[in-house]
Amino acid sequence: MPAYLIAAPDGVPWLSILIFWPIAGLFLLWASELTPISQRWIKRAVVLWMLVPLAIVISIWLRFDPNRVVEGQGAIQFVERFAWVRSIQVNYFLGVDGISLPLVFLTVVMAPIAALASFSVEDRYKSHFALLLLLESAMLGYFLALDFFFFFIFWEFSLVPAFVLIQLWGRDDRRAAAFTFFVYTLAGSLGMLLLFQVFYLATRATGAGSFDLITLGRLGQGLPTAGYSADLQSIIYRWVEQIGIVGLIGGRPQFYSGIAFWCIFIAFAIKLAVWPFHTWLPNSYSSAPTAGSILLAAVMSKMGAYGMLRILLPFVPDAARYFAPVMGALALISVVAGAFGALSYVNGDLKRLIAYTSINHMGYVMLAIAAAAALGAAQQDSRTIAINGALLQMVAHGLSTGALFLLAGALAKRTGSYLLSDFGGLRAAMPAFAGVMGVALFANLGLPGLAGFMGEFLIFRGAWASMPFFTSLATIGLLISALALLLAFQRIFLGPIKQKWQHVSDLDLVEWTAALPLLALLLIGGIYPAALVNLSNATVYALVEIFARAV
Amino acid sequence: MTLFLQHAWLIPSLPLVSFLLISCTPLRRKHIQAAWLAIALIAISALWAIGLLVAVASQVVQRPGEPSGFAFAEPALIQRFDWLPTGSSTMQMGFYIDPIVAVMLAMVTITSSAIHLFSLGYMAGHPRQARFFSFISLFSAAMLLMTLADNLLLFFMAWEIMGLCSYLLIGFLYTRPQAAQAALKAFITTRIGDVLMLLGMVYLYTLAGSLAFGYRQGEIFAPDFLQQIGTETNRLGLSHATTIALLLFGGTIGKSAQFPLHVWLPDAMEGPTPVSALIHAATMVAAGVFLVGRTYPIFLADGGTALAWVTFIGALTAIVGASIAVAQFDIKRILAYSTISQLGFMVAALGIGGWMAAMFHLLTHAFFKALLFLGSGSIIHAMETVPAIHRIHHHDEYAAQQSAQDIRNMGGLRSRMPWTFWCYTMGYLALIGIVPFSGFWSKDEILTDAFVHQHWLSYAILSAAALLTAFYMTRQWRATFFGAFRGDKPRVVTASESESHMHEHEGAHAESDPAPQRWPEDWRMIAPLVLLASFAVTAGAFNLPFAGGHWLSDLLGQEHASFNLLVAAIALILAGIGVWLGWSYATAFSDAHSSDPLEVRAPSLFQSLNQRLYVDQFYRASIVRLAHSLATLWRWIDTRIFDRTLDGLGDLTLRFAHVNASIDDRVLNDGSDALANGTVASGDLIRRSETGKIHDYLAMIFAGVVILGVIYLYLF
Repeated sequence: MPAYLIAAPDGVPWLSILIFWPIAGLFLLWASELTPISQRWIKRAVVLWMLVPLAIVISIWLRFDPNRVVEGQGAIQFVERFAWVRSIQVNYFLGVDGISLPLVFLTVVMAPIAALASFSVEDRYKSHFALLLLLESAMLGYFLALDFFFFFIFWEFSLVPAFVLIQLWGRDDRRAAAFTFFVYTLAGSLGMLLLFQVFYLATRATGAGSFDLITLGRLGQGLPTAGYSADLQSIIYRWVEQIGIVGLIGGRPQFYSGIAFWCIFIAFAIKLAVWPFHTWLPNSYSSAPTAGSILLAAVMSKMGAYGMLRILLPFVPDAARYFAPVMGALALISVVAGAFGALSYVNGDLKRLIAYTSINHMGYVMLAIAAAAALGAAQQDSRTIAINGALLQMVAHGLSTGALFLLAGALAKRTGSYLLSDFGGLRAAMPAFAGVMGVALFANLGLPGLAGFMGEFLIFRGAWASMPFFTSLATIGLLISALALLLAFQRIFLGPIKQKWQHVSDLDLVEWTAALPLLALLLIGGIYPAALVNLSNATVYALVEIFARAV
Repeated sequence: MTLFLQHAWLIPSLPLVSFLLISCTPLRRKHIQAAWLAIALIAISALWAIGLLVAVASQVVQRPGEPSGFAFAEPALIQRFDWLPTGSSTMQMGFYIDPIVAVMLAMVTITSSAIHLFSLGYMAGHPRQARFFSFISLFSAAMLLMTLADNLLLFFMAWEIMGLCSYLLIGFLYTRPQAAQAALKAFITTRIGDVLMLLGMVYLYTLAGSLAFGYRQGEIFAPDFLQQIGTETNRLGLSHATTIALLLFGGTIGKSAQFPLHVWLPDAMEGPTPVSALIHAATMVAAGVFLVGRTYPIFLADGGTALAWVTFIGALTAIVGASIAVAQFDIKRILAYSTISQLGFMVAALGIGGWMAAMFHLLTHAFFKALLFLGSGSIIHAMETVPAIHRIHHHDEYAAQQSAQDIRNMGGLRSRMPWTFWCYTMGYLALIGIVPFSGFWSKDEILTDAFVHQHWLSYAILSAAALLTAFYMTRQWRATFFGAFRGDKPRVVTASESESHMHEHEGAHAESDPAPQRWPEDWRMIAPLVLLASFAVTAGAFNLPFAGGHWLSDLLGQEHASFNLLVAAIALILAGIGVWLGWSYATAFSDAHSSDPLEVRAPSLFQSLNQRLYVDQFYRASIVRLAHSLATLWRWIDTRIFDRTLDGLGDLTLRFAHVNASIDDRVLNDGSDALANGTVASGDLIRRSETGKIHDYLAMIFAGVVILGVIYLYLF
């Protein structure tokens, strides 16, 4: 293995265990059919089962060396790699670095929370929990796989449990929502699928064909890679020249990497719900059952941003730099559209409102990615700060939006409604609920002391250096989303209590158990964001070097 | 002495501890214990802060003058630690203590302690008393942390947490829709300023590579850095320094309720009165002034462009606030507009280069305005128990509160509440600037600065505002404390702000409930008043413009103020005219239902002042409506354009599928069907020949042989 790939220090395939642990749980869940264990204990057992991946990730975190930068990139650690399909050079290739570890952590935190949020599911509960396990596995696989073959399988595979969750346990027009969600993501990624065939053929034409995300990423960044002498842009260009496309339609190398850029960008932009690819999101978030909303919003939307960091920036840096203003503009529109979209639901559906604030928050992440790639005099530090901020924002948003969906579900369980105009004065009946939801909400709108603020601050700081205009306009989103969230809070909790809600109960033990870890993590992230940023800083610093160099 | 310096972190930590203990332990249900815990810890903080001030004062090192002619004194202590990796560099966090910080800490902890104690009386018996103390403790912690911050980011973080506390405390009586609305308005309006400040911070951070206070290399006041941002211009054609300074000043406009973002502060009076005293008079709103004071070298770096704007906004706010206060009837709202106006004085002082005067006025104002608010709280608390008003409480709690706050329902309280009266009078005299009360000295320093530096327009506007201040305060003071008590037949202000008269009660209880000659005054509320009154009287002595009286200037390392007899005389004459006008004017309130004299003489002027110059209405009609229309527009785009397009694409796909299916059906399926059918039919035909009878086969073989024989013979 090259020096930038480092196996687990103890030789144990921790990452495979991580991925397959939930699937093993699936079999146990089926086996429980044969035993007389009560429903209650099965649900608890699933949550406990899901704590094991959390423990594994913490142990990986403790042994992970975040400052190791080898040959121009953050070292990939805990690597497992062996040949899978030799004829087309597909490897079973897993590993973590500073970009994926925060998201892996987010996944294993949110999965048990989602399971706790499903304790009230009675109808076909075993299938429900089985799907949560399956979804956790797929998401972990996505963040850990470093070979396109597996990466793509996990990408598509994660859609299936999410689709079924929405389809079977959702509300309203769940069928249409599940369908749109599935087809949209699937259709969006077709371009990327084809593109990787091109990458394979092009690399085969100059040396060994590769589906390896790390190798291709190094080629894209022009880092020295064993077995190849040119960078990815010229490899592709040489290949399209060879097969005669250049002769047919002409074009410079940049033209072809531009096409590659759009294939990748559209796939991930849909997942990240960047405007104008965002309309599937409010429908599916609001139609999904509580656990589905939590995992969709907290983890699955981050798959898009992760893809951009793992594939878009390193593979086609020139094109990313060239199209950065477009990405920035779309990010800005997402920020504004998400905020105003949320504001338009202050008398409407609570889940839709939260869904729109997610579009707003993911807009900041997009802005950071665009700014990190943008042409300009911005220093490497500023670009690093932007991406660090994006990662922190992703985790913070996952935690706070997860908490909001959790509480929205708990609220609907008590009142049977998501309609904001139905509520009023609930704080008098449920003070603790109001307090916990208040913290989640202020974390979401970026109150200092909670993690969301630091994410936003770092994004604004990093993005200002290369995109001051977009950055200053993006502050509109800070105002309007705060307004929308506070109005929602006011509609639910403040004012005189309505007669019919006099006897609504406060938080129960399960809800406390689910919400407290989220609030605690948000607080830690807000007071000492370095806990997370330390993981990514060195890796990101190496990643953005190519953009800082190209002035 | 260094003990106090080294452990300055205790000052914000103690109130934070009381917040955590009251919020997270069973203490939250033990109201009295919770309150005393909060009071004890903030009092220890106050003692510690005074110790710190003494320690700092004993070793002031003056910094040699900067080119701009202004310099902070050297810090007594900087404590920093690595906090966040930012690429190849690391961001640091910590505390920065210089004399102005020490002075602010002492001021904040002393007023905060007084207000904590007052709250014990004011909130007594409230079902959420413990919660109240946890919130004001968190607020105090945030304010103290902001003061101690060694960099602008920590400053901003604490600043925003104060905003949160302000939101929570304005909306403390959350079952009232008005309180919830006012809390929201305060949070969002100040956030408008805050995002501008955020942009200023990222701008500054990007250029300086750090947000740390200090003059050393890499810190934001490093002389060559200031030189650089003062001369280089950005794409807007402004120098970097001007842009950064104005963006940061956006934070001040929001937090210190400067025009045009002042609209939230009067509404913030929905919060309990101790909150108004602590947050919306003495400390948080002054934080905006402190922000400019803290980053003053950046404002000076561009040679005066930014400060000209600061002066303009400050002077405008001073006069607008004072004018609106003239036509208000709510005792707290009058004080709120007065606060806006006085903050305008401070901001204007900063703008004309009077850093020292602004800080001095900030200190004296904190004491006397907290005093006035607490005094009004004491009055309101008593007014709520007046039988005629208490009776309203049963139908409409909110109207009862509004009636208790209306100065037209007061009168004659001098003899009923003598302690409150005397303390309030000290605050009143300080605010209108009567020698030798504290407000006189600090306001005089501001006016002298304007006069000496020949900012004639600012001087004129501020003098006019001072005149109005004397006028509206005298009006309020006289209406409240003198004349006959009018609360027996109160004017009832309902929630919709239209006034109605509750005739059905009036006749009956005017005789049946004779008010006692002297109302009980709670010592827990009077002791803080006395403490603050003593500061309101004497705080001017910290910085007298005479030889030997410059203690504060020396401490802060600034030039001594000069005494200008002309300015002082004019100020006193103007104050005298204001008092005379206000005194003769307020006699008109013979009973609670009489109109204001100005309303009689100039109804349209009075109306527009009473309606706060229609700024709120303007915002409601423009910005609020715009935001909601934009929201509707975006939703329309999403549902009508995107969802329709998606549906259309789906339809198109389905159509295509239909076409495809019909091709499959008609051409491919039918074609192959036909083929299959043909095959089957010919099979049928052939099958018929398969009879299974041997003689048939023999006949066929024979026929075949015959045919082949014929072909063979005749064709070949």
